Amino acid sequence: MSGTWPTQTQRLTLAQLADILVAEGLGMPAASAVGVADGLLDRCLDAAPALAEPLKALLDEAQHSEPDAFVRQLAEHRPDDFTVLSTAVVGAYFLSAQVRRLIGYPGQQPSPLSVAGEPDYLDMLERVYERHPGHQEYP
Amino acid sequence: MRRPQPGVAADVVIVGSGASGAVAAAHLAAAGFEVVCLEQGDWTGPADYMSDRPEAELAWIEKWSPDPNTRRGPADYPLTGEADVRPVMYNGVGGGLVQWAAMWQPLLASDFKARTLDGVADDWPINWSDLAEPYAQVAREMSVSGLGDDPALPELEPYPNPPIPIGRIGMAAARGMDRLGWHWWPGSNAIASRSHRSLQACQRRGTCMMGCPENAKATPSLTHWPSALAAGARLVTGARVAQIPIDERGRARGAVYLDRDGVEHLQPAQVVILAANAVGTARLLLLSASPRFPDGLANSSGLVGRRLMQHPYRTVTAVCEDFLDSWQGPWGQSIYSLEFAETHPDRDFVRGTKWMVMPHGGPMFAAAEYQEAHRHEGFDAVWGPAFHRAGAEVFGHAFTWGIQAEDLPEDANRVVLDPAVRDSSGLPAARIEYRVSDNTRRMLDFNVARAVEAAEAAGAASTMVRDIWPTGIGHVLGTTRMGDDPRCSVVDRWCRAHDVANLYIIDGGVFVTGGSANPTATIMANALRVVDHMIQSRASQEVPS
Repeated sequence: MSGTWPTQTQRLTLAQLADILVAEGLGMPAASAVGVADGLLDRCLDAAPALAEPLKALLDEAQHSEPDAFVRQLAEHRPDDFTVLSTAVVGAYFLSAQVRRLIGYPGQQPSPLSVAGEPDYLDMLERVYERHPGHQEYP
Repeated sequence: MRRPQPGVAADVVIVGSGASGAVAAAHLAAAGFEVVCLEQGDWTGPADYMSDRPEAELAWIEKWSPDPNTRRGPADYPLTGEADVRPVMYNGVGGGLVQWAAMWQPLLASDFKARTLDGVADDWPINWSDLAEPYAQVAREMSVSGLGDDPALPELEPYPNPPIPIGRIGMAAARGMDRLGWHWWPGSNAIASRSHRSLQACQRRGTCMMGCPENAKATPSLTHWPSALAAGARLVTGARVAQIPIDERGRARGAVYLDRDGVEHLQPAQVVILAANAVGTARLLLLSASPRFPDGLANSSGLVGRRLMQHPYRTVTAVCEDFLDSWQGPWGQSIYSLEFAETHPDRDFVRGTKWMVMPHGGPMFAAAEYQEAHRHEGFDAVWGPAFHRAGAEVFGHAFTWGIQAEDLPEDANRVVLDPAVRDSSGLPAARIEYRVSDNTRRMLDFNVARAVEAAEAAGAASTMVRDIWPTGIGHVLGTTRMGDDPRCSVVDRWCRAHDVANLYIIDGGVFVTGGSANPTATIMANALRVVDHMIQSRASQEVPS
């Protein structure tokens, strides 16, 4: 992709579009407030580089449109383009440490399991055994 | 140890290094065979995994997508065509087991007798008992964790590791099944619940399908290739097989492959084993058409590529008020149910389904699930301020019943060569023609309704139901079926091609019916059964001139 991407104009456009998808509410910040159009976008595109080219085209196109109407017409009539935009926005949003903290998500962290002791479902499993007719043999 | 040299005839050349190819390579090499395996992809290891990075969910949509048309890796070949369900696969050392969820599920005894019991499809030429010992052996090799004695299954040798704790999601789902009086059982997975053989204990990270950084999930690069290579097998990566050439007597001479630079090589061999999955193997046989075999190699029955089966899949996600810790892994099966796996005379379909409980993954996956379920309510129901409902209501509070249906073998569901699209080596792409049958749709409708009941019995405040997934779940079966009659099967009961005496097929293509179980346990067990027979009967094996 030639030139500097994303430009400040493109980031600004993305911030406007992103806030229509992920607005402030239920105690959660809007997308632009956590930097979806800034460093988080760069991390998002690094992980999913195929989003970059169609997203760039969308942002260039959106500069000439009213943001709310643009997003809604994508959602209604251009599902593939809407998927590009929403994936970039949602993907970047959940990379935010602030957002993760607010939803109580530590990430996919390792957490050792223990197989010591008896599981607490054995009484239910006994009932499976009692009511099941057993498998049938077929010679 | 005899390590075959490049260009020198091997005893056996195997095409594909995944579930079945790895079993064959390890056991044949251990028995003293000179083995060469040709793999079009490369090694994938912890350095490639995204599982321990915050970007893991984003990686799933592209770099780690199971769909080769999305992933577009250098080893991937295009899948074209209009299909209700498009196959997914991984092309590299380990094959689909690089990305699998590691659910380990033997077939039912009845799965081998669909014609006798239900008057549909065909019976297998083998029975469950023929796979009993191989099932036990490969379960040990794959460090399976699980609980034996499931009354819905024939008697199994105990799994080598205790079951992974079913977690809060499993307990919630099990209570629902208990209230309804329906079958459920703790999940069996090829994920080590404790350190075992080459695997470390699971750390419940929950990103199993993007590679396990703890090396707790069984994959052939850990479980089979080290011993195969130590025993002398040679694994050639970046080797895309283009043709199986034949001699004047119609015997396979080896495999012709293109390396990464497009240079053509012949790997001669006494015996050829195809293990490239039910799409790749069918494609290769069709690519190997010749004047002697004008419709494709081993295709006198006309069945090569036909009867593709894929386990069409739907989900019901239960959203509960209780916190269920539901991004926590492993992303195998927490519990499973075979309540609706068998044909029942009161239902308007034959055969059945397997259900399994899984976590919902991270917040991006949970949000996607919410949006999919509520999209019909309009933009403002899922976007804007409402976007956060997914986080507030679903994230951490949901579990998913996955429902995989047995799709019956139908000739029209098939793999053919695409007349126009080619892969990066210039070989025709695989074109998929696949429709979900009315029987399968009725089966899934019935089961989804039952799964909603199960979710409600588990205390779900709401449920999210998804229609048939348009991309498959990595189960491709049936395109080179086995049977005793050469007129209506491609390989015999020992998976040797009826038409070519030194050509074997050991991937899921040989399945006569698909059952509803996740197929890897059976693919690996059958591969072991076949190679054990090859080893026993090596003296009588016909070879090329």
